[in-house]
Amino acid sequence: MSSTISSTPVAEVRRPKIINVLFPSVVSGIVLGVVAAALAGVLVNHLTTAYSPDQVPNDDAVTVAVYTAWVIFFFVGIGGFNGIFKWAFGRHEPTVAEEQQLAGKDQGLWRYFRWTTDHKVVGMQYLATVLVTFFLGSMGAFMIRLEQSQPGAIFFTPSTYNTIVGMHGILMVASTIVMISGPFGNFVLPIMIGARDMAFPRLNALSYWLFFASIPIFLSTLFLGGFPTGWTGYAPLAVQQLTPGMDAYCFTILVFAFSTTVAAMNIITTVMIMRAPGMTWGRLPVFVWGVVLSVVLSLTAFPSFIISQVMVLMDRIFQTSFFLAASGGSNWLYEHLFWFMGHPEVYVIAVPALAIAAELGTVFTRKPMFGYRLMVGSMIGISVLSVVVWGHHLYTSGSENALVAPYMLDTELISIPTGVFFLVLVGTLWRGRIWVTVPMMFVLGLLVNFVVGGISGVYLADLPTDEILHGGMFVVAHFHFTLVGTGVFGFFAGVYYWFPKMVGKRLDPMLGKLHFWLFEVGFVGTFGALFYAGLLGEPRWSANIAPPFAVSNTIASLFAILIAASVFTFVYNVIHTLVRGEVAEANEWGAKTLEWTLPTPVPLENFEKLPVVTGLPYDYGRVLPELPVTPAADIASVVVVDTPQLESQPED
Amino acid sequence: MSEANIEGDAGNTLPVGEASHMRRVLIIWVVASVILIVIWLAVAQFILPEEQSSLDGADNFTFIVLTVLAIPVAMFVFVFLGYSLYFFRSQGRPTDDGIPLQPTASIQIGWLGITSLLCLFLVIWGMFAFYQESAAATTSNDTLIVQVTAQQWQWTFTYPQYHVTSQGAQLIELPVNRPVIFSVTSEDVLHGFAIRALGVRVDANPGETTSTSVVTPTETGSDAVQCVELCGLYHSYMWEAVNVVSAGTFSSWIASQGGHS
Repeated sequence: MSSTISSTPVAEVRRPKIINVLFPSVVSGIVLGVVAAALAGVLVNHLTTAYSPDQVPNDDAVTVAVYTAWVIFFFVGIGGFNGIFKWAFGRHEPTVAEEQQLAGKDQGLWRYFRWTTDHKVVGMQYLATVLVTFFLGSMGAFMIRLEQSQPGAIFFTPSTYNTIVGMHGILMVASTIVMISGPFGNFVLPIMIGARDMAFPRLNALSYWLFFASIPIFLSTLFLGGFPTGWTGYAPLAVQQLTPGMDAYCFTILVFAFSTTVAAMNIITTVMIMRAPGMTWGRLPVFVWGVVLSVVLSLTAFPSFIISQVMVLMDRIFQTSFFLAASGGSNWLYEHLFWFMGHPEVYVIAVPALAIAAELGTVFTRKPMFGYRLMVGSMIGISVLSVVVWGHHLYTSGSENALVAPYMLDTELISIPTGVFFLVLVGTLWRGRIWVTVPMMFVLGLLVNFVVGGISGVYLADLPTDEILHGGMFVVAHFHFTLVGTGVFGFFAGVYYWFPKMVGKRLDPMLGKLHFWLFEVGFVGTFGALFYAGLLGEPRWSANIAPPFAVSNTIASLFAILIAASVFTFVYNVIHTLVRGEVAEANEWGAKTLEWTLPTPVPLENFEKLPVVTGLPYDYGRVLPELPVTPAADIASVVVVDTPQLESQPED
Repeated sequence: MSEANIEGDAGNTLPVGEASHMRRVLIIWVVASVILIVIWLAVAQFILPEEQSSLDGADNFTFIVLTVLAIPVAMFVFVFLGYSLYFFRSQGRPTDDGIPLQPTASIQIGWLGITSLLCLFLVIWGMFAFYQESAAATTSNDTLIVQVTAQQWQWTFTYPQYHVTSQGAQLIELPVNRPVIFSVTSEDVLHGFAIRALGVRVDANPGETTSTSVVTPTETGSDAVQCVELCGLYHSYMWEAVNVVSAGTFSSWIASQGGHS
């Protein structure tokens, strides 16, 4: 849209032709991506057949070529390269009008289906997508509980069952990784620190659409024979597996890990340079700390996941032998690379959930946080220690015994900062004015579940008990208590808490309470029963459960019905609220963080005038002479945040 | 303001009655913890599966000890949570703020000290058990050697001292009160070798042979060898019965398999 064309009002009115609406958008992206993928498939199929000695196409090479073409041309179609091309071919710098067009100004709901740079649009895109992937993943969970409700493989073949378990695992792990830093890290975090957008708005759109592009790749595994490895994708099983469904797994991880890496760099940079005047590191809301530490951890963790999947793909396509013992490779290499990602990733999920719990804990007790620095220190401690604990996943791998002791020490050290988190939360609740809203119920549920999840982790960290529990259902129950009971409960607390700000309507509290109780009771019942099955020695990944474990598995499956009911309650609540929900207040909960000072819906660029922050947003229980946030007099541009006269403002 | 907010001056803003709340909740916590520990110690033997070796017995004992430690820790959070919810709950949207408590230095140091001591205990306990096991790993002439080979999706057990191989068998036998060591390997992908009642568990790695600790079955009975690492299609069918039997029964079983010493 050049300014010379749109110089007359008449041209403005006639502009939205159908071609302009559809290109660039997700529709043109999908069309171009699918066409290019089909062409690439035909081409590589032809090439590999022609060059193969026995005239057989290399299915793995074809699959990977199809996915590569899909990703690249999806981004061409959705307009992801438009800015780069315009810049490279010497057009003018984008004008303010063009930037606003890119940010979705005046595009109504259609802006959610385009390459839109506004952080609030990206946050909403993440929220909607994560809810869909959660729903798909939970369906996988219920199929697992169905199969395990009775001994013997009765509902699914072992092959189908293994694929369902793997798909449930990846869908849930990927969803939980982005569930807080995606929706709330994009929508709420920039407003919380007093910024007008993220530091790199285009990268923000890129991170979301990479996540989006990885989903059809992953679902395609259903049509390519599935994959038998579970979510861990252990080599050499992953290398041996002949169906190209395994390639779908590997390629999904690549695209998804690029997405989280881009998002992580963006969030870190935003928090480092885009904070409002007066928003020192010591005044950052705890939620911001949680998200930042989570994405810093993901930056250390995901490169090893990417490289492990590249190596598996090379073993599959080019017959290298990174993981094949017969040719000098080692399965321990894969296990180390995987868990070097896998354990920090648990804290990528958990830390922002703990931060939401602490953040909401102050709001709904009307008390300052019981030790802000303690809480930040706790999260930093957890993050730093979690990078070097991965070896406890290899206690029984038969590799070097000398490493057991340091891994045991380090793993158990994590219980100290985790204990600090409980001190902060218990102290915040003590003598508060506890307002038990739906978000607060999820925070309380999180506390209960995290106690169980954390303590059951101690049994797995200590070698003598790990020896009887490793690789069993006890592990499954433990990590569901941490990832679901802690992570997903924190996510739902965030959804109920920020939904009024993000959407403008409040989720029905009665349905919310029903959702909570069904979820909590069903969850504790299901995984409590599985703790017992694991204690008896039931191994993981059993399509065919052995008779001694039948009773606990049946109980677990019965409780899972409650979880299923809670899922549908939540789905109904969201749809009901979107259609006829009550309009929420601008400051629905009486909170003091910056996002609640803005009107709903939050305007483009958020702040007309940037706020000046004078303290922590947790100063409940004091009579304040002035509001904690006062608009600065003259701040015209988001770039100028640290002007001298602002620094000279009194801090107290 | 921000500094004061962090450091807090809560000491002199506490209302009368605070001490009694604190005393009450601590009493509830101690009583609840003691009751639950007693109940746990009474029922643990019925909850934990039967052990057939001293190694498994040691593992189960660690489980009991860790749970005894875990109960007061969990109850601390649960009791404070329940007490706060019962006594400090606001009916509807609160109209005033709570008391701005901040942790004193002694609370922080005390909390860190206690959790560090607990953590230290866990580490020392775990390492002690680990080295005890490693020390017991020396084999004697009497030790029965069982070579275990995993492949998709069955186990092969070789008794080299008896020149016998039990392949695709529905069960294997072990003599009671005789130390046994399993050396485990895999022919294709990663498998996991585990016998719950004996407390042995080690991965079967392709191209590597790894050994379990030396374990002495102390009770006759039966359990299962299970694969505990996902190994593909029929992973969950990869299990066989293990019978711990008297020395005489074992000799006749070996003979029936075609073995000789």
